[in-house]
Amino acid sequence: MSDRSRLRLVVLRVLIVSLLLTLLGRLWYLQVLAGPQYARAAADNQVRDIIATAPRGEILDDKGRPWARNKTALVVSVDRLALQRQSDGGTQVLHRLAHVLGVSYADLYPRTELCGKGGLPHGCWNGSPYEPIPVTQLKDDRRSTLLALQILERKEDFPGVTAELAAVRHYTKPLGAYATHVLGNLAPITPDELKKLPLAEQAARLRDLVGRQGLEQQYDIFLRGRAGVTQVAVDHMGGVTGTLKQTSPQPGDTVVTSLDARVQATLESALAGAVHNARQLGKAGFGGPADFAAGVVLDVQTGHVVAMGSYPTYDPSLWDGGRIDAKAYDRLRHTPGNPLLDKAYQSAYSPGSTFKLISTSGLLNDGMASINGTYQCSPSYSIGASSFRNFEGEAFGAISLHTTIVKSCDTVYYGLAYHDWLRDEALIRQHKKPVEGVQHIARDYGLGTPTGIDLPNATVGHIADRRNQLLRWKQTKRNYCLGAKRRKPGDILKAYDQEYCTDGWRFNPGLQLIEDIGQGSVLVSPLQLAVAYSALANGGTVFEPRIGKAIVSPSGRVVKRITAPVRDHIPLSRADLDYIRTAMYGVTRQGGTAGGAFIGFPFGKVDVGGKTGSAELGLNRSFTSAWFASFAGLAGQKPRFCTVIMVDKGGVGGTVAAPAVRKVWDTVFGVENHRAAFPTGKPPVKLPATSRFGNGVPTTGNATSGSGASPAALGPVGWPLPDLPPAVLARSSWAALGSGRWGAVS
Amino acid sequence: MGSGQLTDWSTPRTAPYSLRRRESLRERALDRESPLRRLDWVLMLAVLVLCAMGAMLVWGATKPQNLAAGIDPNAYLKKDILNVAIGLALGAVAAMVDYRTIRAYAPVVYLASFVGLVFVLVHGVTVNGSHSWVRLGAGFEVQPSEFAKIAIIVVGAMLLGERADGADAPENRDVWLTLAATAVPVLLILKQPDVGTVMVVAFVVFGIIAMSGVSARWIVGILVVAMAGALVIMHLHLLQQYQIDRFTSFTNPKADTQGAGYNTHQARIAIGSGGLFGKGLFHGTQTNGQFVPEQQTDFVFTVAGEELGLVGAGLIVVLVGVVLWRGLSIAARAEDAFGTLVAVGVVCWFAFQAFENIGMTVGIMPVTGLPLPFVSYGGSSMFASLLAVGLLQNVHMRTRS
Repeated sequence: MSDRSRLRLVVLRVLIVSLLLTLLGRLWYLQVLAGPQYARAAADNQVRDIIATAPRGEILDDKGRPWARNKTALVVSVDRLALQRQSDGGTQVLHRLAHVLGVSYADLYPRTELCGKGGLPHGCWNGSPYEPIPVTQLKDDRRSTLLALQILERKEDFPGVTAELAAVRHYTKPLGAYATHVLGNLAPITPDELKKLPLAEQAARLRDLVGRQGLEQQYDIFLRGRAGVTQVAVDHMGGVTGTLKQTSPQPGDTVVTSLDARVQATLESALAGAVHNARQLGKAGFGGPADFAAGVVLDVQTGHVVAMGSYPTYDPSLWDGGRIDAKAYDRLRHTPGNPLLDKAYQSAYSPGSTFKLISTSGLLNDGMASINGTYQCSPSYSIGASSFRNFEGEAFGAISLHTTIVKSCDTVYYGLAYHDWLRDEALIRQHKKPVEGVQHIARDYGLGTPTGIDLPNATVGHIADRRNQLLRWKQTKRNYCLGAKRRKPGDILKAYDQEYCTDGWRFNPGLQLIEDIGQGSVLVSPLQLAVAYSALANGGTVFEPRIGKAIVSPSGRVVKRITAPVRDHIPLSRADLDYIRTAMYGVTRQGGTAGGAFIGFPFGKVDVGGKTGSAELGLNRSFTSAWFASFAGLAGQKPRFCTVIMVDKGGVGGTVAAPAVRKVWDTVFGVENHRAAFPTGKPPVKLPATSRFGNGVPTTGNATSGSGASPAALGPVGWPLPDLPPAVLARSSWAALGSGRWGAVS
Repeated sequence: MGSGQLTDWSTPRTAPYSLRRRESLRERALDRESPLRRLDWVLMLAVLVLCAMGAMLVWGATKPQNLAAGIDPNAYLKKDILNVAIGLALGAVAAMVDYRTIRAYAPVVYLASFVGLVFVLVHGVTVNGSHSWVRLGAGFEVQPSEFAKIAIIVVGAMLLGERADGADAPENRDVWLTLAATAVPVLLILKQPDVGTVMVVAFVVFGIIAMSGVSARWIVGILVVAMAGALVIMHLHLLQQYQIDRFTSFTNPKADTQGAGYNTHQARIAIGSGGLFGKGLFHGTQTNGQFVPEQQTDFVFTVAGEELGLVGAGLIVVLVGVVLWRGLSIAARAEDAFGTLVAVGVVCWFAFQAFENIGMTVGIMPVTGLPLPFVSYGGSSMFASLLAVGLLQNVHMRTRS
């Protein structure tokens, strides 16, 4: 052998030894240095949590009628990873699926996209990308079932698509009542919410629907129940090789509310009727364009809400299954009157003359007015150069407070307010605190303060006083001062801006005057006004209103009774309160501002008091909002209920709002040929029987998978089959409904 | 015929072999000149331990899944042992026939492998995208390309080892001839396509040529042409998408742990989670969960990594090292150029295939479908590898110490 070859053999020897040493070094790194990390990865690889969602608790009305419950539905899910593995990214399959389901591809596609990409506010999936994404649920009718079977039978046409049984939220609309805003809705848990949960809970709640808005949000912790987790060992295909740990799901508790479906249905139709009526009447007939309406019915003795709603509203079953159709949601957002907002508790408006009873309370309490005095009701009231007109220029001469309330004379209040203001200014000059008696008692009544109701996003409203005026001026003067500078000479608003820029902090006498008649910057929600009027009706007790009445466990045990806490007592004498209440009974009688609306009402059976309001809106006061706040009870008994109805730009309270309230009373007490919601004149005290099996919808299992596994749907395990035609059940492919790879787990 | 009495006295020591008395089997085995005594026992032992470990690992990879599927849990083990037995018999034959006789018949071997490669293109079956198998019936399949490696080694060694008396290096004509003789089977294998085997063959032929003593210009020239060829292949997009995917997932393993990188990711988890001493045979979770595909064949090393740990996996690397070291020693001591080049060819084959196979499982080489010699399950590979060991032994036995 040549030396050259010998040398090259040595080179080859060295090369081979170094290659093998490289392998040993790499093994050392993988198995010793990075070993623990890979050991963890191996452990994660083979364990999957299968989540069995707990059936959500029901929401019932005061007599046990369900507002929200669960139903079994066939949910069509799409496996995103499986779609992505297809050559066209699953476009063809989704097109086919859209065709079968009868929806457009443009509708279907966004639902399979992950949230957080931007530009997909609705319908996108914010769960794990490794899980089947539910794209639609089918009704439990025959057609839908056949549809599901069609998908399952043509598996080769729909790779990555499954249809499975699942419990979905269902809003039942008892007696046609919506109560949409009060109930709220569900939505998938957001990644941020998930991050805030303890680590141990995160996996189990990954696909959770959580309450958003309304009672669903407020009582979410009770309604939610506890998901069951089955930890299984799996192989590389996601096939189960054994069960490691198992906890079964605990259904959520039932929330019994004080909402009465019959009264709610009446209130909703009364609101729609009032809006319709106002538009029909037009401005000439004391109506108006009526953008929206809202109303509340309270139990004045307990502080519970009997009905609450606003118009326009929308069908709560749009939220069935915890997800709203993106198109439908968009349509709602662009509907005039914003049906997504509940005007009864989520926003505040000028209450107009209904506020006069609050003013009266304050003035009586301060001694600025007396139930024995007489007051001048002139067509207008002047302070310096400013003149404040009476509504419609009416005048009644020297009258008592009673007549002032019955006729709703503004100028009497102007006079009282001006003297109130003068006294406060005198105190200020003496470096003492102003009394601001009307503002104080308004807050006692719950106006301008949080109501404390068991609903999220309730408005606080606003009560004008010297401090608020200063605060607001500080916050807003910049824009006004800019306006004063930049507006063209001759612009009316230029002078207005200039005045506000320099003197906007001043609490002018005019502000006090219009405050006492419930206009200007007094803003209250119908719910707040109802709480205040309940106090007038029940002798001065101000409640934090409650909708929930009790939490009942699935086994029927009462977990918690919910009572409305008393937040305040109105510091008025019984005589003063009785006087005001008597005046309110006068309002509904002939000669009162709501007399016309209650002609022919059987006062012998049901006694009704109230106060109208017609709050002027806009700079030129072209529209008024119609209010009627009223209480009623069986004749000879204490007043039991309070109803407030407001029709925005609806015209005059006595003409538009009061007739709507009358319809509510008809139903509540069962007069004027109506069926009584409460024949005894009182809401039921006893809790209704909760349905133990009515909500017994199967738990549906979902697989949460870590990295490296092909996700698979968990078939339904061990629960009753839904009502399907026997022919369908008999077909062999029924088994396919549950034959995911997880099907063997139980 | 009774031996001994008739010839005991009449046959002198100097008589021709055929006239000598027939020795007993035991005597023959213990004779200084006997093939058994002249075997390279270290090499043999290393190969046998590798085969035994291979059988165990194949068992470990297949028993749990076979149990789950309700098939005989030991089916693969039995077949692997059978493969080893057949391979050892083939190797014994290859060792017994004097390698100089084999050299004489090299063209016949070459022709036979050519026929096999053509046959597979016409009548072969496709497994994992490669048209590389010929079905023999009774559940047996052979992969002619495995045997083609031996044919190429023998022919290459013959062409480059045959030189004018006293010459140190083959003539250029012989090198060209070798390249031409290699090109034919390589093109046929590329047609299957089996890129892995082509790479093995390329490395083997390069090794034989380099070791034959040709001038450095040849070595540099071949390397330059190879690199240029690689560039052309890249630029003309001659590679299949899956091959590109494998390569990108090799250069960036975290890129796609679900798709092309899935195998290597899971393989690394299997090996890494084994730690120092492993999880014990049949106790690997990655193995039992079948997270690593092709685990009894191409990825068999992951079973060693997971169930036997660094100790077991390291032992395999060391044993492969012993085989290669002994192979090189045999090459260095061989009496003629043919013997040296055959041994070098076999060493290059085993070295490349072992490094590529283990390298891909630990993530330092791109994925190609090459089995680990002696360890991976698979008849053709086992037969060819043991045949090659037989050739090494053949050269060793006929080297005067």
